[in-house]
Amino acid sequence: METTAEKPNGIVQLPLDELETPPLSLGQLTWRRFRRHRMAIFGGVSLILIFLYSFGGALFISEAEANFTATGDRLQPPSREHPMGTDTIGRDIMARTIYGGQISILIGITAMIVEVLLGVTIGSMAGFFGGKLDSLLMRMTEAIIVIPQIFLLLVMAKFFGGSIPNITILGRTFSGSVVIIIVIIGITSWPYLARIVRAEFLSLKENEFVLAARATGTSKREIIFRHILPNSMAPIIVAATLGVANAIAAEAYISFLGLGVRPPTATWGNMMESAYNYIESAWWLWLFPGFLISMTVLSINFLGDGLRDALDPHSRAA
Amino acid sequence: MFQKPFVRSLLFMLIAASFVLAGCAQPAAPTAAPVEPTQPPAAVEPTQAPAVAEPTQPPVVAEPTQPPAAPAEKKVTTFIWTQEFDTLNPLYTNMWFSTITHQWWNCWAWDFDEKNAPRPVLVKEIPSVENGGISEDGKTITLKLREDLVWSDGTPLTADDFIFTYEMTMSPKNAVAATSPYDKIEKIEAPDPQTLVMTFKDPYAPWVGTLWHGLLPKHILQPVFDSDGTLDKAEWSRAPTVGCGPFVFAEWESGSFARFVANEKYWAGRPKLDEIFVRFVPDDASQIAALKAGDGDLGTFIAYPDMPDLEAAGLTLVKTFSGYNEGYYFLLDPAKGHPAIQDVKVRQAIAYATNRQKLTEDLLLGKTVPAATMWDATPYIDPSITPYPYDPEKAKALLDEAGWVDTNGDGVREKDGTDLSFIYGTTTREIRKDTQAVVQQELAAVGIKVELQNFDSDIYFAGYGEGGPAATGQLDMFEYSTVPQFPDPDTFDFLCAEIPSDEKPSGTNWEGWCDPELDALFQKQATEVDFAARQQTFYQISKMIYDKVYWLGLWQDPDFYAVNPKLLNIKFSGVTPFFNIAEWDLK
Amino acid sequence: MTRYIIRRLLQAIPLLFIISMILFVLMQNMGDPLATMGGRTVTKSADRERLSRQLGLDKPIYVQYLYWLIGNDWAKADLDGDGIPETPGTRKGVLRGDFGTSLLNRGVPVTKVIGDRLPNTLLLMVTAELVIIVGSMLIGIYSALNQYSTADNIISTATFFLYSLPIFFFALVVMYIFAVNFKRWGLPYLPTVGMFEPQVGKTPAQVAWHMVLPVATLSFVYFAAYSRYIRSTMLEAMGKDYIRTAKAKGLPRPEIIYIHGLKNAALPIVTVVALDLPFLLGGALVTERIFAWPGTGRLFLDHLARNDTAVVMGLLMMIAVAVVLFQIVADVLYAWLDPRIRYK
Repeated sequence: METTAEKPNGIVQLPLDELETPPLSLGQLTWRRFRRHRMAIFGGVSLILIFLYSFGGALFISEAEANFTATGDRLQPPSREHPMGTDTIGRDIMARTIYGGQISILIGITAMIVEVLLGVTIGSMAGFFGGKLDSLLMRMTEAIIVIPQIFLLLVMAKFFGGSIPNITILGRTFSGSVVIIIVIIGITSWPYLARIVRAEFLSLKENEFVLAARATGTSKREIIFRHILPNSMAPIIVAATLGVANAIAAEAYISFLGLGVRPPTATWGNMMESAYNYIESAWWLWLFPGFLISMTVLSINFLGDGLRDALDPHSRAA
Repeated sequence: MFQKPFVRSLLFMLIAASFVLAGCAQPAAPTAAPVEPTQPPAAVEPTQAPAVAEPTQPPVVAEPTQPPAAPAEKKVTTFIWTQEFDTLNPLYTNMWFSTITHQWWNCWAWDFDEKNAPRPVLVKEIPSVENGGISEDGKTITLKLREDLVWSDGTPLTADDFIFTYEMTMSPKNAVAATSPYDKIEKIEAPDPQTLVMTFKDPYAPWVGTLWHGLLPKHILQPVFDSDGTLDKAEWSRAPTVGCGPFVFAEWESGSFARFVANEKYWAGRPKLDEIFVRFVPDDASQIAALKAGDGDLGTFIAYPDMPDLEAAGLTLVKTFSGYNEGYYFLLDPAKGHPAIQDVKVRQAIAYATNRQKLTEDLLLGKTVPAATMWDATPYIDPSITPYPYDPEKAKALLDEAGWVDTNGDGVREKDGTDLSFIYGTTTREIRKDTQAVVQQELAAVGIKVELQNFDSDIYFAGYGEGGPAATGQLDMFEYSTVPQFPDPDTFDFLCAEIPSDEKPSGTNWEGWCDPELDALFQKQATEVDFAARQQTFYQISKMIYDKVYWLGLWQDPDFYAVNPKLLNIKFSGVTPFFNIAEWDLK
Repeated sequence: MTRYIIRRLLQAIPLLFIISMILFVLMQNMGDPLATMGGRTVTKSADRERLSRQLGLDKPIYVQYLYWLIGNDWAKADLDGDGIPETPGTRKGVLRGDFGTSLLNRGVPVTKVIGDRLPNTLLLMVTAELVIIVGSMLIGIYSALNQYSTADNIISTATFFLYSLPIFFFALVVMYIFAVNFKRWGLPYLPTVGMFEPQVGKTPAQVAWHMVLPVATLSFVYFAAYSRYIRSTMLEAMGKDYIRTAKAKGLPRPEIIYIHGLKNAALPIVTVVALDLPFLLGGALVTERIFAWPGTGRLFLDHLARNDTAVVMGLLMMIAVAVVLFQIVADVLYAWLDPRIRYK
């Protein structure tokens, strides 16, 4: 039953229907939609577990154990003493996956941050402002794409290879080549994201709501950050999550070519590389780091997927 | 269409399942009995592992994708090369994978048999003082060639081809890989087509190991040189269709393969095999997989951990010593080097602190032994020299004596305010990385801290002018494997004059050895044509290097060949591996 | 639009110059081409000096770049070491079409070195790309239409799992299972390495058979990346209002999906494909290496490791030109596919 109360200026106020729910905030809405995505929940949980394993495990096993060589015990299959077996010089694989995981995860996240910051900034500026700035930025992007990642890596390895000393953070010492890897992966991955963001901005810029915002005199900065960017979050999130996965996978690829993190610092990538020659003979060398890499990448991707689905109000199957 | 993803998931599960099965079906084959090379190695040493229970098919039976070939078919053997030759012209490359093919399609004046003793090929006999081949003063060497020599197109091979090869090597218009030892020849002439007389400026002792490694056909290449002005761009370098070996070059497809077919006109008789097919497989693991699957009959540069697998798959591993020894070089530069390294006691301490015996047993599966000197397994080292034993207590005592003690309790010794901490560098090969980790730990146990660095080969071996880390003194202890002019012990890499500097950026003495006594001995041995005298000189050289630990041997680095048992009459030489390729046969 | 294309092409020229300079400088600082000329031993000093002079490596960087660009037949080189340049050079320079000769394969023109390998690479890469595109489209569309179903979850897991395996690892595992072990177990098996079997010769059937494993390796690993993008853009497109309208109007489902949904989702897909196409020329470094496929990827690695500037520059410039051209093509395609985009 509705009653309308006429206000003096003619605006009609309708009472709330009891069956309507109270309006939800963006965060709450996102969470509800996220919950539906079972694989995303699974991804999130396993990421937390992996994180705990890598960073929490360090409380139980010291770094010295991860680097302790005993050539007499080399290539032992998993046993009670070494739950994941030993590697080619007798180091405990479980300890190495723990400490290696820290580095791999660090590389993944940091490289992704570099990539996203660079890619979004440059892509949005190019797409929004257009004209000469667009041309210049896009030419710059092309220049980066043209130079192969491997080539850049070799060059940087040569320039900085020996001279970056070992880094000590929070009591953990590792090779300086980690920084080089992060910088290279970050620098060589942002162009793709930049182009996607630029494409999004180019399309969205012509949308009606942007025209409306411009008509009402909204500042350029507000248009970019409050209107267009939130609408292009979906590809950015997909790219960011795939970016972490890419970085972790790129680290393994680079290790295969011999340019990865220098020994004796372990990473999942260079553990896979050492295991490469033992695929048939010593399965425990690659199974555990391989499983960890796959699970991490998998989980991150599911998580990102769920986030993307949750954040995009239009994403719904036909 | 919608079934596709399910099929893919099933396929994925099938892969995972067969994977697990693969893991279960392959118990690790026990290592074969260790072999000790006290002599330059001999013939085939079959190293069969005890029979392992697995459903293997003898690789012989499986002809890859065709019905089994009838025995009357061509006898083709497939070799797997992990590096592709850069060029086939003997003058333009020192690449091992290219020079070892010379015994197939080119010819050396003499090559070396399985005992690394010289064996005449083009000459009637190896020149010596007794048969008049070498003059009394040692400066003139005369070669007497066989009369029946022909190139593969029928043209006779004479001393003129030798002179042509010499001229091309020395011509400034050709960017050849190396001019030695021809730059030591003062005069060369051919009084008749079967005689070659070479006069050296000074008596040249290393002649047997260095002269005439491959010939150029004058009748083919002289016109090319005359018209182009240089041999650099000659077609013949890519496609040497005229050769003088038991096989003739047939085809080389870049990146893929090369073929050599039997030379019907070979002056020593047609070889038994019809064709050699060389396949280029750059990846080690793929090479092993291909050998196991029988897609190749021979492979080399096998890593130690792969050997038991190959033996289990039915291949035979043959070891041959080619003079390489892996060891540590120390930077003996009072200005750039670490002060501790300049002290012989510290170097000796490093020698005692590292358990190289255990290293070779564990990491190299006992298939080789620790090296004592750079001339191991040749007649030139003092027989009383044995590798430094493992004695960490003695190492600690020596360090204490030298004044390096740990006063602040951080586990690292110091003296005069400097920590005993230096940089240990090498390339990125797996075995070297593993060695680094092990040695780092062993040195830490006696209070020495080493920082590890690894470089790509072309960066590691870059010269002083290019900023190479070893050459420019960035590394205090560097590891690599090298060889004198095997089978000749000559080396001039370590002379005082070879220390790299701004004036001489190409110097090879990166280690900075400048011991006047040692220098004099090195210079002397190159001119001693008398074997006994030279041997004595080398006894002194190797003893000096050993006592002062200028070089610390890690292990002897032999070459290993994995061979399919269907190849018969196999013999390998350390210098010219395929010296008897003409006799090889297929079952 | 034509003016836009011409303007882009003109902009490309200084870009290519700058890229070539950067690459050349990077290449020269990479290492020492003479380091590995000694074979398994260290290069002797006399040879180092002589070769440096003969190959023109002793000149300063800018001179070497100049020779690379415009040749050295107008200059004289000192080949015999007496300090007096007397021999005129023979190179015409890149701008006149002469990319020089390889240092590694001494004397062979760069165009021949690359040209020998290019067809093999294109064969492998184009096939792989087609398989990837078709496969990803099918997977992506199916996933988008059946979001959150069990099948979707299984597919996502499988593709991500394959994507997260390091490619070198996947390649070797696949080789071991289907080539080595299948043969051992008496099942029909695939070949391990190379393009063909020597006994049979280089027939199309052989080449196709040998291509199965490398193509499979490349495709399986990249399905995930492409199909995710397709899935996400399809989801976005299918969530748009015009799709709801089309459904309300009662249009048949295939028409909705393909004509209304896919066509609009095509834009980001075009981006990704167009950006990746030029890199097909560069081959797949790791896959080619493992399967011993004679392509340009391996060529790049081998010549880079030995510091063969001429060949590496040739390859890099070839890819650079292709990238620039394809960027222009992609941008033109954008405008064609999305009429709302206007270029100023």
